[in-house]
Amino acid sequence: MASPAAVRELQRDLENKANDLSKIQKDIAKNHQVRKKYTIQLGENELVLKELELLKEDANVYKLIGPVLVKQDLAEANANVRKRIEYISAELKRLDATVQDLEEKQNSKREAVLKVQQRMQALQAGKAKA
Amino acid sequence: MGSPRGEVTPFASLFPVDEAHKAVKRVEEKIAEKQKEMDHLKEFIADNNSIINLVSKLPEELHHDIMVPFGKAAFFPGRLIHTNEFVVLLGEGYYAERTSKQTADILKRRGKALDSQVESLKANIKDLKAEASFFDTTASEAAEGLVEIREDYVDEDLGEEHFESALKGKGESPGLNEKTRMVEDDDEYTRLMARLDELEKEELAAEDDDESIEDDPVANGALEDANEQKEQSNTIESDTVNSEHFQNAISGDLLLYQTHSMQRKPQEQEKIEDVAAEALSNKYQSDLSLNDEQNRTGSTIQPLPKAEKLSSKSSTHETKRHLRNEKASVLPEGKIEAMSSATQPVHMQSARPPSNSSKTEASQSGFDSSKAFTGSIVERSTDVLTTKSATLPPSDSQSKPSRPVSRFKMQRR
Repeated sequence: MASPAAVRELQRDLENKANDLSKIQKDIAKNHQVRKKYTIQLGENELVLKELELLKEDANVYKLIGPVLVKQDLAEANANVRKRIEYISAELKRLDATVQDLEEKQNSKREAVLKVQQRMQALQAGKAKA
Repeated sequence: MGSPRGEVTPFASLFPVDEAHKAVKRVEEKIAEKQKEMDHLKEFIADNNSIINLVSKLPEELHHDIMVPFGKAAFFPGRLIHTNEFVVLLGEGYYAERTSKQTADILKRRGKALDSQVESLKANIKDLKAEASFFDTTASEAAEGLVEIREDYVDEDLGEEHFESALKGKGESPGLNEKTRMVEDDDEYTRLMARLDELEKEELAAEDDDESIEDDPVANGALEDANEQKEQSNTIESDTVNSEHFQNAISGDLLLYQTHSMQRKPQEQEKIEDVAAEALSNKYQSDLSLNDEQNRTGSTIQPLPKAEKLSSKSSTHETKRHLRNEKASVLPEGKIEAMSSATQPVHMQSARPPSNSSKTEASQSGFDSSKAFTGSIVERSTDVLTTKSATLPPSDSQSKPSRPVSRFKMQRR
């Protein structure tokens, strides 16, 4: 009567929640990857900055844009690299916040899924008794 | 084994064999990944070193004759000039013109960075390997069917249990500890039994003192009060002892407390039975007391309750032994059990004064009927009789056959 329908409803609910949970988990994984990339880039940029500082004033600096090596000013190169570093740090911070958010959502979804599962179990136990 | 005072959990239930194996595989996969990265980095380092060599060697000549690669599958002879000018990749698409020495410096710095990366990876791999070996041992132990026996310590907190569960690999050591504890427990048990005997002797001595000063009723009454107080203090002491042990039990594991209470229940039941037996026997006594013959019969009855008490005591001994054999014995547990059984006879003995007091009431009611029986003697000295009868029965119950004679003497007065 009401119980099979309730069970089906609960099952649908469970599926939805499980889907949401998996989506969130995928987002978190992507976030991790992007974060890794950015972290590596940040490290590299800091190395470049160090080397640039070691250069003499009149040394030639080139930048690889596509297949072309373009001559650049040392000061300009310095500024560019610094800006890039700032940009990457900001991106990392943003990603951190997103990851936190996603993790919280994931936890809440997990709890919801558990609750639905418990309700289903209770229902099934009740049905078994009856 | 009867009801376990500890927990016996097979490793297989705590760490299912399949899952343990899966965990081992997962960790091994991670280790493999890290190894690959390690190899990668090592290649880089090797390349770096070779480049440094080359860069330092090139400026030795003004120009080098080389075979220049041309496309995918062709070379042509050429010359390498400007042997001291290098355009070095700094990173992120930035290049810099440098001399050979400066290039070598850059490369060396890069090499150092690579080395530090390799070191961190090595540490990572070491941790993972430790984890893998741990899982491995757990899996093998679970497969063997090794059992984790968790015993409860009095002094340990619940946190200790987690500690024990963390040291899963040492599931065997608690078993060894148990054996040593069993030996100690036996010694402890004998010691406590000796103490029990001492306590009983003290009790008897106190009652004997009580009987010796029978002739003076007032003093007797005072002494009886003093005795009651003493025995009450005994009960208080035993209570404090119990409370101490209860506190220990509470500070220890809840399980211990429950089992302790479970143990006490049968003991308490025995106590109740003892008291009931005593009350019955005492009532019987009071109904038949006052006259010589009755006293004699009462005296004959007296050995009976004594025998009953003895039998009940022996039964408690037996149960104690039974309990001892039952458990997988932990020393503090054994202590508590023995202590509780030690206090129990005290309880028994302290139960006597209450039973005595109840007996006095019963004896008083009994004496009402006996008053009618003794007739004139009662009328003359009812107060004396009642007081004397009130005071006398406590000593009477434990008195020897000779005593009733003196009591009868008093009655005549």
